[in-house]
Amino acid sequence: MSTDSLTAGKSTRRKSSRAAKPDPQSPDDTPRRRKGLSERNRPLWMLIPGGLLMVIIIVVPLLLGIFMSGLDLDQYSLRKWVSAPFIGVQNFVEALTASPLLHAIWLSVSYSLLAMVVTIPLGIAGAVATQNAFKGRAVIRSVFLIPYVLPSFVVATVWRTMFQPGSVVDSVLHSVGIDPGLWLNGPQSYWTLILVQIWASWPFVYLLALSGLQSVDHEVHEASALDGALWWNKLRYVVFPYLKGPLSLAFLIGMLHHINNFTLPFVLFGVPAPSDVELLPILTYVTSFQSFRFGLSAAMAFISLILIAIPLFVYLRAVKLDDAETPGGKK
Amino acid sequence: MKFASSAKFAAVALTAALALTACGGGSTSSGGSAGPVDGKGKKLSVLVNSNANYPAQQKQWFTDIAAKFKAQTGADVEFETFASGNDELTRIQTSVVSGQGPDVYSLGTTFTPTAYATKAFVTLSDDDWKKVGGKDRFNQAALGISGPDAQHQAGIPFVSRPFVMAYNKDILKAAGIDKPATSWDELAAQAKKMTNPATGTFGLATGYKDNFDPWKFIWAMSVQAGNPLVDGKTLKLDDPTVKKAYETYFGWLTKDKVVDPASVGWSNSNALAAFASGKAGYLMMTTSSSVPTLEKSAVAGKYAYTAMPTTAPGQTSPQGDAANAASILSGDNVVVADYSKQKDLAFAYINLITSKDEQLNYQKIFGDLPANAEALKSLNNPILQPVADTAAKSKATPFTGAWGDIQLALVNVVVQSIPDLSKGSVDDSSLQARLKDAQTKGQASLDRASK
Repeated sequence: MSTDSLTAGKSTRRKSSRAAKPDPQSPDDTPRRRKGLSERNRPLWMLIPGGLLMVIIIVVPLLLGIFMSGLDLDQYSLRKWVSAPFIGVQNFVEALTASPLLHAIWLSVSYSLLAMVVTIPLGIAGAVATQNAFKGRAVIRSVFLIPYVLPSFVVATVWRTMFQPGSVVDSVLHSVGIDPGLWLNGPQSYWTLILVQIWASWPFVYLLALSGLQSVDHEVHEASALDGALWWNKLRYVVFPYLKGPLSLAFLIGMLHHINNFTLPFVLFGVPAPSDVELLPILTYVTSFQSFRFGLSAAMAFISLILIAIPLFVYLRAVKLDDAETPGGKK
Repeated sequence: MKFASSAKFAAVALTAALALTACGGGSTSSGGSAGPVDGKGKKLSVLVNSNANYPAQQKQWFTDIAAKFKAQTGADVEFETFASGNDELTRIQTSVVSGQGPDVYSLGTTFTPTAYATKAFVTLSDDDWKKVGGKDRFNQAALGISGPDAQHQAGIPFVSRPFVMAYNKDILKAAGIDKPATSWDELAAQAKKMTNPATGTFGLATGYKDNFDPWKFIWAMSVQAGNPLVDGKTLKLDDPTVKKAYETYFGWLTKDKVVDPASVGWSNSNALAAFASGKAGYLMMTTSSSVPTLEKSAVAGKYAYTAMPTTAPGQTSPQGDAANAASILSGDNVVVADYSKQKDLAFAYINLITSKDEQLNYQKIFGDLPANAEALKSLNNPILQPVADTAAKSKATPFTGAWGDIQLALVNVVVQSIPDLSKGSVDDSSLQARLKDAQTKGQASLDRASK
């Protein structure tokens, strides 16, 4: 994740600088490109080692996973897994009709969305608040990053301890006359998860928002000041457009990260998880490693992959993150 | 998850392929069964669980055993450790699939049926048993979960860790109780006498949020009431005995009010801490591995172990075989991988670590009871005596590959009931519904096992 944010920051900066200078790689700049290293002569063979690794690490396991989802693979057939009985789409049927998969997908997606909806304004507020230099800004900025650098395992362990019945959180709330009920079991556990996720992940949005703010050119600030824009107008019409790109990226990565987050719910709630927080990764884990239904679990993973890929694809097309021609969104 | 596991999978497959080409044909099978095994120049790979309580001692033990093994056979031993059950499972899975990995594994008893179901481990022949010192060498009760029947056994008992309860002698005495309870009803009655919320003292300490403890209670009470839970191909979680067991277990909190209300969020270690601070009369479902903690606590010298009740709730004396179901058969087994090319060496190693002297030595360092019958008999530590007695009165959990799922379903009933528990009552219909769900899931898994 940290590298993600770094590259994201760099790319925004690069994009905005491109806007000023002519881009040697841009498609409408064809004469210039011919002068450089031509596309035909690029030493593409140098990609072979990396490409090979990608095939081994990503493509082969993906294909294996899809293959496994068609097998009746469990602890009884694991040893000779290639010859496990092929049962076609039965695993998929079972996953969709006879397992809590759909419920788990709903929980995962809704919790991720809720967490993101809260973290984005938080992140922007944090970034805007530390944009202008003041005494102690470096300290504040570092403090903001603490939740982000702590390992998920540590975060979850500490929160779990605090949320124990009769522990710190309860006694504080009791002292002001509130009986909070159970945090780690029952319906409230869903909100506990969202709360901890917000705490742990808002600095990521903050980082990306900060990188977006850094890319606002001085001239723009000056121009808006000359035009007499007040702080809100300036923020709304001048600064926010710069943030659209980085924040879209933050939203995308954040959602994927939340949906795939295993450590946090696993450490917070344990296994078997309360049914209110039986998220997708937990369900897949339990199916694989407690019930040993590897085939079924592969089918579950594949279904969720597709379900996530559809909105992801639509979203990527919509925001055109990969298009260098719209740096930082519309200005 | 899929990516991670299958990536590992591919990596293992790849390394396996590389390793195979690297050492192609270099291996020779070790000599016959007669005489000491000659393992010169060989290396045995052993996977054991890392001992979180005694990491330094465990390292020392590795070194000592390796030296002794080298002296006996000339071969080296390489120890690898796993931190959690899941860790081990991953190792077993990758090894099972690739046919390469450790020669000897150490397994928890309740995991043995699952491991056996993979058929990746050696089912010992009479000849093989001789190589590890003979079947007679072991505490016969400990062999109960080595395989589906006496002829098909893969797990060689290494240590016993029977579950008992600890009690605070002072608190019992103050409440006028002269001897610990032997029936679950009596236990609740005694616990009531000892409970005093004003001083924060409760009759029982147990963790409802523990990932394992709850199913052991339900298993014990049901088995003692004559329901083995798994009867051939039928799962019997929808039986009244099981419901009664849950009601008793939940009742401590909701009706008898003899446990700390906070224990809905406790695991076993929280319960141990409560007992160690002198705030509980009984500590339920503990093992001899709690000795080090208790010896350093406020209750040092004031506690004793005893077997948990064997009379099912609602009954007055143990029925049928109930007296022999004081605990699940618990501890560690060692198994030899089927793919191992040095099985004789592996058996020689097991022969060494299950010998009387080594077993006693292990007990002294780590607290786990010997599986070696002679060594078990020679123990004379009064604190451990009741635990050692329980080792002979332990009953094996059903030997089926579906047990993992059944166990999970049993715990799940408790997990989903915790919100109700914390409110003060678990209503009958929701308990019934949860039991039905557990029955359906467990039976489906059992069907797969007997397919």
